[in-house]
Amino acid sequence: MTADVTATLPPAISVAGLRRVYPVKPKPVTALDGIDLEVAPGEFFGLLGPNGAGKTTLIKILTTLLLPSAGKASIFGFDVATEAAKIRRIMNMVAGGEQSGYGILTVREQLWMFSQFYGLGSREGWRRVDELLDAVGLGDQRLQRVSTLSTGQRQKMNMARGLLNDPWILFLDEPTLGLDVSAARAVREMVLAWKGAVPGRTVLLTTHYMAEADELCERIAIVDHGKILAIGTPAELKRRVQRESVLRLEVNRLDGGPAVLAKLPGVVSAALAADNVEAGTEAQRVAVNLVLRDDNALTGVMAALGAAGSRVLGLRTSEPTLEDVFVELVGRGFADEADAEAANAGADHDHSHPTEDAER
Amino acid sequence: MTTPMTTPMTEPVYHPAFDGNGFDPARAEGAGLADTRRHMWTAVRLGWQVESNWTDPLLFFIYTVAKPVASLLLLVFMVQIVGGTGAAGEAVRTFVVLGSALWAMLMAGIAGPAWSVLDDRERYRMLKYLYVSPATFLLVLVGRGVSKLAVGAMGTVIALLFAVVVLGLRVDLAAVNWPMLVLTLLLGLPPILALGIGLAAICLQTRQESWSYPEAFAGALFLVSGVVFPLSILPAPVQVIGLINPVTWWVAGVRGAILPTGASSIGGASSLWTTLTGTQVPDGAMTIAVLLLTGAVSTLAATALFRVSERRARERGLLDLTTGS
Ligand SMILES: Nc1ncnc2c1ncn2[C@@H]1O[C@H](COP(=O)(O)OP(=O)(O)OP(=O)(O)O)[C@@H](O)[C@H]1O
Ligand SMILES: [Mg+2]
Repeated sequence: MTADVTATLPPAISVAGLRRVYPVKPKPVTALDGIDLEVAPGEFFGLLGPNGAGKTTLIKILTTLLLPSAGKASIFGFDVATEAAKIRRIMNMVAGGEQSGYGILTVREQLWMFSQFYGLGSREGWRRVDELLDAVGLGDQRLQRVSTLSTGQRQKMNMARGLLNDPWILFLDEPTLGLDVSAARAVREMVLAWKGAVPGRTVLLTTHYMAEADELCERIAIVDHGKILAIGTPAELKRRVQRESVLRLEVNRLDGGPAVLAKLPGVVSAALAADNVEAGTEAQRVAVNLVLRDDNALTGVMAALGAAGSRVLGLRTSEPTLEDVFVELVGRGFADEADAEAANAGADHDHSHPTEDAER
Repeated sequence: MTTPMTTPMTEPVYHPAFDGNGFDPARAEGAGLADTRRHMWTAVRLGWQVESNWTDPLLFFIYTVAKPVASLLLLVFMVQIVGGTGAAGEAVRTFVVLGSALWAMLMAGIAGPAWSVLDDRERYRMLKYLYVSPATFLLVLVGRGVSKLAVGAMGTVIALLFAVVVLGLRVDLAAVNWPMLVLTLLLGLPPILALGIGLAAICLQTRQESWSYPEAFAGALFLVSGVVFPLSILPAPVQVIGLINPVTWWVAGVRGAILPTGASSIGGASSLWTTLTGTQVPDGAMTIAVLLLTGAVSTLAATALFRVSERRARERGLLDLTTGS
């Protein structure tokens, strides 16, 4: 993967002791609380973390939109605070879920304006815009006004803007937020194809879709409260929870919810599986993801279930997923956030069931 | 490198547009002056297309034609009532018509960059993308200001035509001091835009309620720049503001070039200028010299203010601040 050219390059991202405090009333918010991170050229790097963890703040600092409160950060060796102009020529960013754009312009015009800001020649700009619109599958909409685009089309346009300057590093902040299954996939395909076309191209992605991170990222950092809790390849992260047994338990009912099980000795965590059919209180089948310190703890769980009158309908060991890692590290399941996520995510169903994917 | 664990659903599809130019460090350097010209010109074009209401004929008519003509008419009627008729009334009327027509252009140039900041940040939500592009932010705003100024200048021309055709304003084209007119018009552009940039710097720091700032500031300036009445009727301390303000000298210069025999907004009996210098009114050369001086000072001051403001905005996270969400 690493061609000779990338070996001679400085780190794509280098961050040391990075802190960021927002001076807001009544109490300043510490969004980043001492981040150390190094991303090599050519890496596909993911940032996972709950809402408010500080992911967007980190991206804003790395893209020169925001200054750090303390610490250092550099992109391909250029300091974000003092060499912003250089960084801006070799990076680009795309955020998801935004209604941004000069509505009155056509897609083609808006992108052309940016091509000029990125220093392309006038004619070269038009050519580049048309070629990118074709690549992102927006060729038919190129003469449409920006204001008339659907969310997915707008995001494709944003992707095209993000690629205009052939960036060395691309920052993607929840790029598939609010996209349907096929539009989200199209964006992922595009990013992978673009990155694969030139060795050394680097991507930093944030997402709330565990499967997306698992599929795309070579390395992932899990952040919460402005700190990196764990960092590694998806496989390494999963091995962290492999020490424990990860089980999927299905019962006919569970009075008191998974919290009852979580309190039992030897149980690391118990959370409703993301794919639970939570139709009313009369649910016939409740699926719980259990993480146990060791298999012995299972005896206690079974006894407790028996005492509570729950009938066990199924019990499977499951491969740990990123979600399990996330739950263990961050301490609150995405199950809690699944509702909000589903609302945001539209119909991206194939990604809201990471557990099932991994069970096969 | 590890491969993803799940079965890849994603099939990357190669496209020639994804080819790249590699990692030549020179790419981080840019093309210097050529880039500057391109960025500036693109910003002008962007402003022209996004903000000039070209595509909406009604809006265009209202802002570019109806507004300047309406404010002109308003002032002219007021003069009519107060100043009466006769030669003196005629002189006052001409004075007011010229000032008011120029105001369309001034207003656009002074408020333009600030409106660009507010529009791009709140409405289009593109400010952050412009900001993290290689184009110098200051330059982009100047470009946007230029396009506003150009549209404003059309309003000025239309208002003047209206005054000549409908109100019977008489300008003796043979008497117009053309070199002086062209020179003042040009020398006035940097300070007008500088005031606009200064105002943009302030609006960058503020939240949504600052929509009214540009107009309020321009309105206040209107009163102390000798646009529709001479400075001499103002209290002396306020006259100081008028005299150090390049807009005053620009308006006086343009007016003086068009009507060499007309009244001056600066000197005259009981004016601070006359008290200070002992001369009745500043002559053409003096007007241009002071315009140059005050223009240079305000351009430097506005640039410095903008630098500070930009830095603070980056420190405080104001560049993508939206009150809407
Ligand atoms: N402009 C701001 N002013 C004050 N506080 C802010 C600002 N921007 C972010 N914060 C706070 O900083 C913290 C981190 O926010 P950030 O947007 O970086 O989180 P995130 O990880 O991107 O979350 P999400 O997943 O919801 O996008 C949050 O507590 C947030 O409230
Ligand atoms: Mg975020």
